[in-house]
Amino acid sequence: MGKKMTSFRGLCLIMLALVLVLSACSGQKNGGSSNTPNDGAAAGTDGKEQNSELKPYELNVAYLNIGTATDMPEVQAAVNAITKEKINATVKFMPIDLGAWQQQINLMLAGNEKLDLLVTGSGLNFGTQAAKGQLVPLEDLLEKYGQDIKKIVEPDVLKAASSSGSIFGVPSVRDWAADYGVLMRKDLVDKYNIDLSTVKTFDDLDAVFEIIKKNEPEMAAIIPEAASVAVVTSLVPGLIDPLNDDNGVLPGLDNDLKVVNWFETEQYASLLTMVRRWYDAGFIPKDISTNQTASEQLVKAGKAFAFMAHMKPGYENKTSLLTGTEMVAVRILPPVATTSSISNIMFSIAKNSSDPERAMMFLNLLYSDAELVNLIDYGIEGKHYEVKGEVIGFPSGVDANTATYNPNFGWMWGNQFLSHVWEGDDPKVWELQDAFNKAATKSKAMGFSFTVDPVKTEAAAIQNVKDQFKIGLENGTLDPVKYLPEFIEKLKAAGMDKVIAEKQKQLDEWAAANK
Amino acid sequence: MNTVAAKTTAKEEAGIKSGRKLGFKKKLSNSLRYWPLLVMVIPGVVYLFINNYLPMFGLIIAFKDVNFTKGILASDWIGFKNFEYLFKTSDALLITRNTLLYNSIFILLNTTIAIAVAIMLNEVKKKFFSRFYQSVVLIPYLISMVIVGYLVLAMLSGETGFINKQLLPMLGIEAISWYSEPKYWPIILTIVNIWKNVGYLCVIYLAAIIGIDPEYYEAATIDGASKWQQVRAITVPLIAPVVTIMTLLQIGRIFYSDFGLFYQVPLNTGALLSTTNVIDTYVYRALMNLGDIGMSSAAGLYQSVVGFVLVILSNYVVSKRNRDNALF
Amino acid sequence: MVNGKQKLFQIGLHVVFSAIVLMCLLPFVLLIMTSFTDETMILREGYSFFPSKFSLDAYAFLWNDKENIFRAYFTTIMVTLVGTFAGLSISSLLSYPMARKEMPMRKALAFFVFFTLLFNGGLVPTYFIYTQVFELKNTMMALIIPGLLTNGFFVLIMRTFFMNSIPVPIIESASIDGAGEFKIFFKIVLPLSLPILATIGLMQTIGYWNDWFNGLIYITDSKLFSLQNLLNRILLNAQFIQSNASSMNMSDISAGAKIPMETIRMAMAVIGVVPLLCAYPFFQKYFVKGLVIGAVKG
Repeated sequence: MGKKMTSFRGLCLIMLALVLVLSACSGQKNGGSSNTPNDGAAAGTDGKEQNSELKPYELNVAYLNIGTATDMPEVQAAVNAITKEKINATVKFMPIDLGAWQQQINLMLAGNEKLDLLVTGSGLNFGTQAAKGQLVPLEDLLEKYGQDIKKIVEPDVLKAASSSGSIFGVPSVRDWAADYGVLMRKDLVDKYNIDLSTVKTFDDLDAVFEIIKKNEPEMAAIIPEAASVAVVTSLVPGLIDPLNDDNGVLPGLDNDLKVVNWFETEQYASLLTMVRRWYDAGFIPKDISTNQTASEQLVKAGKAFAFMAHMKPGYENKTSLLTGTEMVAVRILPPVATTSSISNIMFSIAKNSSDPERAMMFLNLLYSDAELVNLIDYGIEGKHYEVKGEVIGFPSGVDANTATYNPNFGWMWGNQFLSHVWEGDDPKVWELQDAFNKAATKSKAMGFSFTVDPVKTEAAAIQNVKDQFKIGLENGTLDPVKYLPEFIEKLKAAGMDKVIAEKQKQLDEWAAANK
Repeated sequence: MNTVAAKTTAKEEAGIKSGRKLGFKKKLSNSLRYWPLLVMVIPGVVYLFINNYLPMFGLIIAFKDVNFTKGILASDWIGFKNFEYLFKTSDALLITRNTLLYNSIFILLNTTIAIAVAIMLNEVKKKFFSRFYQSVVLIPYLISMVIVGYLVLAMLSGETGFINKQLLPMLGIEAISWYSEPKYWPIILTIVNIWKNVGYLCVIYLAAIIGIDPEYYEAATIDGASKWQQVRAITVPLIAPVVTIMTLLQIGRIFYSDFGLFYQVPLNTGALLSTTNVIDTYVYRALMNLGDIGMSSAAGLYQSVVGFVLVILSNYVVSKRNRDNALF
Repeated sequence: MVNGKQKLFQIGLHVVFSAIVLMCLLPFVLLIMTSFTDETMILREGYSFFPSKFSLDAYAFLWNDKENIFRAYFTTIMVTLVGTFAGLSISSLLSYPMARKEMPMRKALAFFVFFTLLFNGGLVPTYFIYTQVFELKNTMMALIIPGLLTNGFFVLIMRTFFMNSIPVPIIESASIDGAGEFKIFFKIVLPLSLPILATIGLMQTIGYWNDWFNGLIYITDSKLFSLQNLLNRILLNAQFIQSNASSMNMSDISAGAKIPMETIRMAMAVIGVVPLLCAYPFFQKYFVKGLVIGAVKG
């Protein structure tokens, strides 16, 4: 029985890890005292001089193990040839499985195991790690050894990786913003002559769904973005800055930095009314709250016509592959970027590192050395991939099932825009993405991260209240007329006002310091 | 049979009394005499010391605001602050009530049903069938709760579920929206729990029944006792010690609950929380985004202490009635 | 007359057990059928005992990973065998003396064992000790050692069995005949306790077979993955590809789109459970009534 208990604890943790990786919200916590990096090598020395002074060092790098990487030893050797020459260091890659990530990283950071660099993120407990003193503050290191990073990652963006005023991570260069809307089956849109240009707001969708409901009674007109997410949930980040955990938010990503209770706003109430209307009209399946199947699969099986989505350029093409039918995107909310969307995936230096300077030098290479980035992202040219004009692809005779190095984790490693483009994507995808990032509305509180520590008792209770009501309300299965007031009342009882006051206090301090 | 038991108890009591009277020297020589027994326990004791007692210094984490730069020992003491979230909310009463009620029902029903099934299994004469039944009752225990959650969904799903689609129409009852009605879940969860765990308990009780000396039954049969009388007079009293120990152990974990059962099986449905939220799921939800090791050890310590107090009490009651059946 | 009554009683038993068998077996049959169903059918019609379209896709998908799966089977079998044997040895050695009235400090010892059932220091300190003091990380020992006694649960059950099923006079008479404690334990007590040993052995086997938690925290080297760890990893990776299309390359999304998510979960449960079911009869051999007792007494 003792054993059983342990496994269920374990199960919680695996679930936790999964949820955290797939979602992107987390509490930020107070940064304690820090590990000051050694003020070793003098600033301003160029690469070569550094190299002659540097002793050999092995960097242990922990990252999320995704996809196939059977040939990692070979790739590692090739990477080491580069790093040996440039920073006299070798790199030991430590892949950690998605399901084991949270556990193993926490345990490694709690002890003194060898670990120099690790992937962190707002959904991977970055806030807690920074607050508990497990990460090294990076300002000085960035100044001395991270100039290439600073060139690419603007100060605004870099600030998103801060906690209590210090920077603890470097975001990878990828999609920093998202726009919000609906993906629909193109064949049906064409078949029923639906004019999508008339759809400007979410409320305009009723007419579209009505047509589908009438003609395809077996099909749900609209479903959420993913299983265990609600219909409304995935469009909310386009309307507000959740300030890490949506207990106290900035509507319109501005609101003059006045934190309000999102669930009490008119806007939230009207969203709930809308989704309830959809539910009552039969656009949303009755048993949506217990759905366990990915939305793309439901579309593929002919059970659904459209689903909510947060998107980036070219998103519909990739999704079409999963749904097996062409999808058309209706983009309703323009792209926005917040602290959370940027600090999603970063690299941080662990307090375990005995040479944080070298770790930063390697990190700097990930933002400047295209050869290194391509090597890590795609493997060895000629063996794992072939250049095919502007893009790259598998060498002949290799496919996704037989590939020996095909990890798909470019979004993790430094500057993804330095890497090749895989065939099937727009050859200009990085430029498009860059432009998209730059065009995004930035939250006025960009760079602020909430430290939940002073109100963690309340935050714990609030989470239970949210679990009880949020999905039901945001899927329309609960009537907002009856349950929204109850939800608000229980949130208050759990201490929502205290959390908001604390958040406002921290935000004011942050604003004063960042004038 | 009763006389046999009485005799042994009398003998033991005499032994214990004389043991108490022994002086230190005698005690020492007693220890020396049974040195082989002491040697036997060494591997187990050493193992438990390393595996369980050494890490117990970690219990202090529950009272600390851990900062790894300082190290666990040097981190600040914060008293009971890590415990606050367990009691401060309006849900505190609900989750405690749910946890206690579910576990009490589970202990009662699982034990009764497992004993009944074990006794019946023991009566099956044909060896092949007996073994077949034994294997089958254990199957549910081998399936993970995540999968059980899916199977329950296959039964109860609103649109495609077996019960709504096949069973209720046959009985002329309208479809029920199972996942939005909290009132059904105490029954559903109890059934799932019995289904999954009775086999496990059953195997243990069966082993106890098999251990009973067949001579008792032979004698009883000669005296013309019926099956039912034999069960009541021989089987049940003789497996009572095992039942007692199993129950005591379950009482010790009465504040813990099977996370998979309460989280996976209702598919984390918010509408069902009033009857499915227990301490473990509450803590899981509370800490999902916080990831605070101080608060999670606080929850564990709270559950352990309550369980500990309850076991000490029940053990005291048991030892009043029969010293041998007590845990310690 | 008596015989007729007996027969009726037996028939009654079989009727009751038929019902129990149906209850236990039907969900399992549903599980197996689902693993052989075409995925689209499940999405359209839900789970069914008689799917309208069969498919081996789930097993074919797992077959892609056959090398890893066979290696993981080997790891799990080794760990289960060694762990069960070692765990059974240690727990019987620890529980037997606690069952003996003559044992000094037996109640204290029982408390010492019981205490571990309720209180534990949590994961972080345990991990410290196993990785930094004993350096077990990424060794097969890390899959075996933490589960040896399952916190003393089995020890306490075994102690109760020893107290109740081993007649004290047998031990006393053996002792008078000059047999030492070890001889008594190995030659008399253990053979008398086969049903208990088989029960606890079965529980330990199930525990080791289904354990994935130790693998989760102590193993990063994929060559040492146990079956459960490997299956979890395959499932999570497949889910990741399907839910994070935007971060995958086109070739992989196309491959990922073909993964039958609904059915591989069930296929995994099948390949995880079936070997255990095959092992069960081995343990049942020892569930024999009244073994040796008569012989010793006679």
